[in-house]
Amino acid sequence: MRKYETVLISDPDLQSQSRADLFDRVRNIITRENGILLDFDEWGSKKLAYEIRKKLRGYYVCMTYGGDGSLVKELERNLGLSDDIMKYMTILLSDQETAESLEKQAAEANAASETAEETAPTDAAAETADTAEEKAEDQAPAEKADAPAQAAEPEAKAEAEPIEVKEE
Amino acid sequence: MYKGQRGGKNRFYQRRKTCRFCVDSGMEIDYKNPKGLRQFVTERGKIIPRRITGTCAKHQRQLSLAIKQARQIALLPYVGRPMH
Repeated sequence: MRKYETVLISDPDLQSQSRADLFDRVRNIITRENGILLDFDEWGSKKLAYEIRKKLRGYYVCMTYGGDGSLVKELERNLGLSDDIMKYMTILLSDQETAESLEKQAAEANAASETAEETAPTDAAAETADTAEEKAEDQAPAEKADAPAQAAEPEAKAEAEPIEVKEE
Repeated sequence: MYKGQRGGKNRFYQRRKTCRFCVDSGMEIDYKNPKGLRQFVTERGKIIPRRITGTCAKHQRQLSLAIKQARQIALLPYVGRPMH
């Protein structure tokens, strides 16, 4: 099995209901063709770098999934037939995946999203909430560590640029 | 030394350019990140050669692929507008 990533741009003027239906259809194709959906990431409405079908904005979706070439063929055929999909692109991420390794990744992705979404109303959920809190704590310092580095970058650039000018 | 063999009094030394991706391992080349790729594209939308940016051959190959993929899904322009 292989791991693919497809980015698709759907019509930004679509009603949210019909958009949900459209995405459900796309997801169904993957499961129908024995694919494993790993991630379905909606980027939302973004400005396009150039006009597609006279439109300047597009609703982006990026999905990661495991499957075979036949799945991609079927998926792209359906995307091409749909009027609400303006453009799509599929990229091969890795061709050395087995069904087991992909399912493991899918389970991990599910677990991560569930712990993030859960609101701990029951005792059983309290445990997962604790782990979620721990994770949040782990992430928070990392973000803080990133922030000064980013803040430092512009300064470094500002220092570097005048030197370049002198040399030229 | 870089560009040093020519000799003569008016030898000028250029600061050695380094590959930004080799120096900073946290910097990843990703077609989904158009902001990062913009630095390696002119205002017109052309890919800047590595002799200008100093990117190493390996990363320039990855970069050019990423830029072309980003163009495909309209994250980067094929033809950008010049600044007037």
